[in-house]
Amino acid sequence: MMLATPSAGVIERTRGAVRRSAVRGQLQAIAAGKSQSLTFDLDSAALDVAALVRQATVGHRPGSVAHQRLAAAFQRSGIADVVVDRLAAADALQRIRSAQLAGALGLAHAVPWITPLLSAQEPAVRDAASRALGRIGGTASAEALLRAIRRDRPTRTLIVALARAAPDLFLETALCSPKRAGTRAPVVIAAGLRGRRASVSPLLAVLASGNRRERAAACRALGWIKAEIALPTVAASLGDRDWKVRMSAIKALTRLGPDAYMFEIEALRNDPEPRVRRTGRIATHRFFNKAARPWKWEWR
Amino acid sequence: MRPENHLGPREVLTGSGRPAEGPALRQHPESGRPPYHEMTNRVAVLERAAVLFALPEGVLRSLARRVRRLTVASGEMIVCQGDPGDTIFFIEQGRCRVVIERPPSVVTVAVLTDGDVFGEGPWLLKRSQQASVYAQTDCTLLAVDRQSMQLVLGRDRTVIENLTRVAEHRFRTFADTTVQAAWGTQFKEAAVVGVYSPKGGSGGTCLSLNLVGSLARRYPGQVLLLDLDFPYTHAALLAGLVPTTCLARLVQVPPDAFEEALLSAVLYHSGGPMILAGSLRPEEAEEVTPELVTRTIGVLRKTFRYIVIDLGVTISDTTLALLDLTQHIVLVAAPELSAVKSAADAIDILLRLGTPQDRLSVVLNNRSVKPAVTRSAVERMLSRGVDIEVAFDYSRPDQAAVNGEILSLTNPRSEITKGAEALADHLDAFHVKDPSTRSAAGRPDHS
Repeated sequence: MMLATPSAGVIERTRGAVRRSAVRGQLQAIAAGKSQSLTFDLDSAALDVAALVRQATVGHRPGSVAHQRLAAAFQRSGIADVVVDRLAAADALQRIRSAQLAGALGLAHAVPWITPLLSAQEPAVRDAASRALGRIGGTASAEALLRAIRRDRPTRTLIVALARAAPDLFLETALCSPKRAGTRAPVVIAAGLRGRRASVSPLLAVLASGNRRERAAACRALGWIKAEIALPTVAASLGDRDWKVRMSAIKALTRLGPDAYMFEIEALRNDPEPRVRRTGRIATHRFFNKAARPWKWEWR
Repeated sequence: MRPENHLGPREVLTGSGRPAEGPALRQHPESGRPPYHEMTNRVAVLERAAVLFALPEGVLRSLARRVRRLTVASGEMIVCQGDPGDTIFFIEQGRCRVVIERPPSVVTVAVLTDGDVFGEGPWLLKRSQQASVYAQTDCTLLAVDRQSMQLVLGRDRTVIENLTRVAEHRFRTFADTTVQAAWGTQFKEAAVVGVYSPKGGSGGTCLSLNLVGSLARRYPGQVLLLDLDFPYTHAALLAGLVPTTCLARLVQVPPDAFEEALLSAVLYHSGGPMILAGSLRPEEAEEVTPELVTRTIGVLRKTFRYIVIDLGVTISDTTLALLDLTQHIVLVAAPELSAVKSAADAIDILLRLGTPQDRLSVVLNNRSVKPAVTRSAVERMLSRGVDIEVAFDYSRPDQAAVNGEILSLTNPRSEITKGAEALADHLDAFHVKDPSTRSAAGRPDHS
């Protein structure tokens, strides 16, 4: 009787899994402060070191001791320098992996080398670079992302990365700056995603004086922040001349607590714009379903 | 039905719920490396911070290159309590107020000024922001983010340890202060109300006396008037009482006997209010120091429900210390051009000192049948509304003074009485949290 020999692909996958497991163990030991040595082959195709680093630091805040230990171990072993070197490599995959690893480790000194990747030709490289800058954070990263938003079309990844990277009062000052008027709408979205209450006042100012895109974005952002203080201003936007602003105001009020302005939202079911009518209908249904639930349970 | 607009501490403190009209926050433009004089300024600011005092100049310069310079308009929120944070702020110029919101009260735990640091807690202690920080004046700040600090100071553990120690100490101090302030509310310590009239002859003393009368009818034996209208303190005389001792003469009393001596100096009026004279002779006014006043208020707060202080006209060190201790300030203005101008200046000063808008009440005391300056003109000049207007009361206040009576205790039809009652209602709305207590005290009839 002959035994079936496993194919080369299976063996290679198994080897890769063993290698990943070994490196994961090393990284976890370093993060826990039990070890300082780090030995692995950065060129191994099976190893996604950035993902392993992220796994090892799950539950730790950026800048935590675990992050610092890992970053120090990578610096000591010389791998961090190789990572920075490869950010300028010709191979797109190497640049992507290096950017991912620099982001996962929070290598702040790599920011000047990651920044040019934001204007790379390959979308995957641009994406990896913006995510890396978002993870590293700080003023330099946020400035680079803001420049990229101004230069290119603002993408979802760039805005999310900006929201992650921006230090305190960075987005707020950007909102108040007349020189950055062109990037205000994406910055408003980023401020909403970031969710700091210090942004409420600048967002209210944008809602009062911005163009239609900015006003619509400001409504959504105030809803995400759950700024109760903005309730009257957002409710006043239900009567805005632009339908997108009205629709955003309904959505924001849904998050802020629609019960107070239910009559105003219901009134928009007769809005000339069908999308506003639909949003108003959904908001009303949501509210009444929520209000009706205890009653239904009682009857069951 | 629309809900009431929930006011956060920012609105409570600054009274500004509306968005800023101009750019409230501004980042100074930077192009690559900052110029030499800019670097020198930044290094000077960082050097002033006690925690960075021991850093070598090279490290300071490296840090100075990475800071962001921000301008924050007065009243703007810089840091919000409960938010995560990643930036340390150094105050280059201006004053910031650190506030902890602990319902039902908002406690100011510190006022920071040039060279002070804040925002270090979340980074070093891994907690969310313990307090909110508001710009009390237009401020220039240097902001250093976590990444820059780690990059520059990553290898210098000493500075990080020093910063952590400062952050822990500050955290404990703020927590203690908040707890103590909350205890004050819980244990129903007295509300301290300062009555200030920026111009003599506006009727500040008369209103203080009648306010005390109104409050004393509601809370008999629990209301005290502390007369600090220096150098001539006449409240006791106007109430028909003859003081034999005063606050100024308690300076020499040893600490263990202070409380007893202080309470024995209080004069009891037959209608309910109590009066403590600040000084008996003009030259004794200088004996009343900020320390003495602070100690006195500390003792009196445990004994009474309301302490009304007649602050008089001058702003001295003692007045400033008292302003810090008051929970409410009543500003008395007469509808005369000079009095209104003085009142506008006084309001500006009080707001600059950090008096919350809602804890400052303006009383317009008419001294003639048809005043030359109308109420609307007064409100325009003060840039705020008049909370209570007292109509002209003819010769009743003068007659009451001659008879040694307090109008709010003897004459319910008097305009002064009506004004004092309205003011007492206004104060009760703020300082009597339990409505049952308020209704139980009731508003006695004048029959």
